[in-house]
Amino acid sequence: MNYQPSLPEHNDNVSHQHPVREFFVLITGVLAFVLMGYWALGFFVDIAVGYLSPEQEAQLFSKVNIDWDFGEESMPEEQAKLQSLVAAFKPCLSLPYPITVSLVKSEAVNAMAVPGGKMVVFSGLLDAVSSTNGLMFVLAHELGHFKNRDHLRLMGRGIVLSILAMLAFGGDAGISDILASTINLRTAKYSQSRESQADHTALQALHCHFGHVGGATELFEALKSQEKGFDFEMLHYFSSHPELQQRIDDLRQLAQELGYSAKGTKKLMKQ
Amino acid sequence: MDSLIIFLVLLALGFVFGKLAESRHYRSIQAREEMLVRLPATSCKKPMGNSTPISHAELVHGHVVISVDYFKQILAGLRNLFGGTIQAYETLLDRARREAVLRLKESCPTANEILNLRIETSSISKGGGDRIGSVEVLAYGTAIYYQQASSQHSRS
Repeated sequence: MNYQPSLPEHNDNVSHQHPVREFFVLITGVLAFVLMGYWALGFFVDIAVGYLSPEQEAQLFSKVNIDWDFGEESMPEEQAKLQSLVAAFKPCLSLPYPITVSLVKSEAVNAMAVPGGKMVVFSGLLDAVSSTNGLMFVLAHELGHFKNRDHLRLMGRGIVLSILAMLAFGGDAGISDILASTINLRTAKYSQSRESQADHTALQALHCHFGHVGGATELFEALKSQEKGFDFEMLHYFSSHPELQQRIDDLRQLAQELGYSAKGTKKLMKQ
Repeated sequence: MDSLIIFLVLLALGFVFGKLAESRHYRSIQAREEMLVRLPATSCKKPMGNSTPISHAELVHGHVVISVDYFKQILAGLRNLFGGTIQAYETLLDRARREAVLRLKESCPTANEILNLRIETSSISKGGGDRIGSVEVLAYGTAIYYQQASSQHSRS
């Protein structure tokens, strides 16, 4: 037995397929699979929300005391005023349960529908609108979310997303991020359609209350003048709310279709 | 969004630098293998062929620890979901095995033959939370030195 010094001509122990190609094939498969799962589970969330009665919702969330940490609630007078404005919609909007308004001191121009019948209004909103009509449209928009039960739908989807990401990847942060970003796009699309629907509900409620829809687009126009100079085209794609101009146009078109007119607005009394 | 950008940057960095390191390592492995191909390293238990008397034998070993890049780690993670051959790790193990044998040979350049060559692999941080995909490959064997015709010893 003699030793023949030689090296193999080919390395048969490594594959020569390009790794980038493999990466794209695999990631596409994973994303397609997860999106399908998310879509299907989102569908079930919608069905489940239909079965969850308002009483059950109130009972479910009365015990859950979420610390929202929005700062101090220290404007009782304004808060009472908001509460009375919300109550004024009672004949116009059939709401499943009474809504409690919390006014929170914050510069954010926003309001939120929280499960359990709690509406959070940030004081920045009061500074951004100049008329009662404009403010009441925003309140009606949030009431529209309660009426359409969007807060439950979105929360249900959030829970589904967290569970999916956890099941699929555990602690693998990188892949979870890709997944979360992809699904955020879908959630954003879904949420944009819910926002439009809440806008429509709000417009009808505003017309019912005032007899006209003046001031409905007031907040959006104020926000639009603020965001001038920025390129929001790309950001809009990731955003949970429709583009401002789109919302204004939609509202005007809907008002026209329903034959709603816009008259003068009442100035908001500020302290 | 921020974490996604960081992730993609890490992925790209891992791919580029991993690729560079790998091709540099392969070039070095090929050059050294050609240089050392005349030193037989076999898994036989007895010396091959001739009955030249053996002056002495010693245990020699070479080992190496190599890590995969981030890109390959993610690729292997994706492959874990579907199953199949993890091609991303093939070059890692191939490089580690050949490097370990080369280091073993380089540790005894004047030996005449290496017998009973064994190669063992172990993963570093196995089951660890941080999941560093690195392997250690250890090659060990018996280097034998033939008796020289002259009085001069092969090793000083």
